[in-house]
Amino acid sequence: MAELQLDNITKTFDDGGDEIVAVDDVSIDIQDGEFLVLVGPSGCGKSTTLRTIAGLETITDGAIRLGGEVINDKRPQDRDTAMVFQSYALYPHMTVRENMSFGLEESTDLPDDEIRERVTDTAEMMGIAELLDRKPGELSGGQQQRVALGRAIVRNPAAFLMDEPLANLDAKLRAQMRTELQRLQENLDVTTVYVTHDQTEAMTMGDRIAILDDGELQQVGTPLECYHEPSNLFVAGFIGEPSMNTFEAHTDGDRLVAERFEYALSERHEDAIDGDNVVFGIRPEDVEVGSDPDDSHTYEVVVDVVEPKGDENYVHMAFDADRENPETFTATIGGLRRVEAGDTVVVRFPPEAVHLFDGDTGEAVLNRSLDTVEDVEPLL
Amino acid sequence: MRSRILRVLGASDEDDPETAEPDVRTDGGTTSDAAAASGETSRLGQWLDSEFAKSLPFWLPATLLVGLFVYGAIGWNFLISLTDWQGLRQPTYESLDFEMYTRFFDSVFAGGLLSGPQEYWALRNTFVLLVVFTVAALAVGLLLAILVDRDIRFENTFRTIYLLPMSLSFVVTAIFWAWMYNPESGLINQTLGAVGLGSLAQQWISDPQYKLFAVMFALVWQFSGYAMVVYLAGLRAIPSDQYEAAKVDGASLLKMYWRVIVPQLRASTTSAAVVLMVFALKAFDFLYVMFGTRPGPSADILAMMMYRESFGTTNWAYGSAIAMILFALALGVIAPYLYLQFKRGEL
Repeated sequence: MAELQLDNITKTFDDGGDEIVAVDDVSIDIQDGEFLVLVGPSGCGKSTTLRTIAGLETITDGAIRLGGEVINDKRPQDRDTAMVFQSYALYPHMTVRENMSFGLEESTDLPDDEIRERVTDTAEMMGIAELLDRKPGELSGGQQQRVALGRAIVRNPAAFLMDEPLANLDAKLRAQMRTELQRLQENLDVTTVYVTHDQTEAMTMGDRIAILDDGELQQVGTPLECYHEPSNLFVAGFIGEPSMNTFEAHTDGDRLVAERFEYALSERHEDAIDGDNVVFGIRPEDVEVGSDPDDSHTYEVVVDVVEPKGDENYVHMAFDADRENPETFTATIGGLRRVEAGDTVVVRFPPEAVHLFDGDTGEAVLNRSLDTVEDVEPLL
Repeated sequence: MRSRILRVLGASDEDDPETAEPDVRTDGGTTSDAAAASGETSRLGQWLDSEFAKSLPFWLPATLLVGLFVYGAIGWNFLISLTDWQGLRQPTYESLDFEMYTRFFDSVFAGGLLSGPQEYWALRNTFVLLVVFTVAALAVGLLLAILVDRDIRFENTFRTIYLLPMSLSFVVTAIFWAWMYNPESGLINQTLGAVGLGSLAQQWISDPQYKLFAVMFALVWQFSGYAMVVYLAGLRAIPSDQYEAAKVDGASLLKMYWRVIVPQLRASTTSAAVVLMVFALKAFDFLYVMFGTRPGPSADILAMMMYRESFGTTNWAYGSAIAMILFALALGVIAPYLYLQFKRGEL
């Protein structure tokens, strides 16, 4: 158990003379026992970052510290980390018990009966005790996944590194393992770095999430920080499903002029903006559908497509429905509210929910106000 | 197709709708009248229509050829081994018995060390060659494969270089190694002398102590490239995360290969071993070119002895018996492999 520090790490690959930067000057401090999720689209460098921590890739520049000690030049086998692979990478010729013992046998001097005991204990905790004598090929995907986790847990390492460990499970099992993994990590209290491309996993599992794009760290923060206070357009678009609606616009006095609508700015907005080009953003759930047309910040739009999800509906709407390929934006409404394609509705963009981004750099200049957040009153 | 077969077989194609002017039904068949009129040919026609008959042209010729020239020859050879045929007379098939086999095994077990008869030495050397050569070639091949697999430069070049000796004929490599082993002008003794290890120089292929070793070394040189290619294919099939998992699990390079990678090459080992063992049993050409028909007890093998007995001293029946024993050995090598494949459902 230890804290893990990534200090300005950079990793470049040489591709036939061209230098490709996979990880660009990334610094993250991961607290002891923290669950950090590295998230980003494919090719963003999140897996490479994880592999540099494991020692499977060497870093070009920077420092990795585990428990205060620089481990840059240590070989993977000398770093006290355990990794769970997306493919599980179980050794096919070994039984589950042998798979789980292997790491202890190779990395510690523990006597055989101690190893046996630890493996049995961990297997019981993971609910795979009855599988110990089977080979990986005889197990289901979910069972293999548990064995892979168990193999990492039994080592009791300073840090867990997980590379999309749930990606190969079906949706139901994945949701179940998500909570289970969280509970395990909380109980074990081992520093964990978890890589995923799935923003739902990132949001629900991490103590903090680090969002990477194109090798560069975009934001590190708690899931709700990243959701409500994205530091730039990329984070705003990546976190949240469906994505935040964004409209390019420019300022004109106290109004914001987008291609198909104008928005009256409040004082709070005006104070934040400097520069002419602004990107106007609003989350789908903040778009109020069916407002009173006389209210401020309301627009008449035409419903393009409705995606019913049961609990809620995703409504895709357009200002310019008359066009060939209308540019749509999305609103989510309750599952019991009915609206159909072709309907004309009034939507409202409430000023307190508006995000504003610098049109040139994409940096957030103003995030939604959280004044309206209310706590659920406990019953007792 | 059917009408062609009928024509080939000279059979009547009366009920063929194309030629026989039948009462054609709308579904393209013929009416039962036409079929009944020629009951005999219709049964033949039915048989000719079956999958079995249709598949005949594809497998029958090959089966007949293989049956006659391979299995027929083996059978006949077995028959000869049961006779007492020798010399230049014709064989007689009146008294068939296993005398030749008992003679062989009696001699094997009668022999003491060193003074033993040729049967003992030939059998012993065959086994030594089979086991030591195979194990050595596999080990060298595995080592080469692992080295070549480690992302080295000029990988393809190395692969070709290592595999090249296998494409050479035994005749070429035997002559080549005879030169290498030449006590005076051979490269090995010359090199040893040049680096000051002249005392290690040996009469490699005339000293009985080193003869078999020298042969096996040359054969390993020739065939480890093959083992390497088989292993290389096996290594390529192992996903890279197996290596990574082992490393993260704390295994050293050696342990990683020994405990994680090599055990996963079992299938490669089996298939390479079978081929190598069969080659070992067939090492006749190599020895023949190097030593002639009398390599002496220390390098004699069954194949050589069979040749000597049959074509040297015209003990045809005895030679055949030795050939059958060799055949049994080859079967013993192949059978477990085939059984394994059969059990895995890959046959």
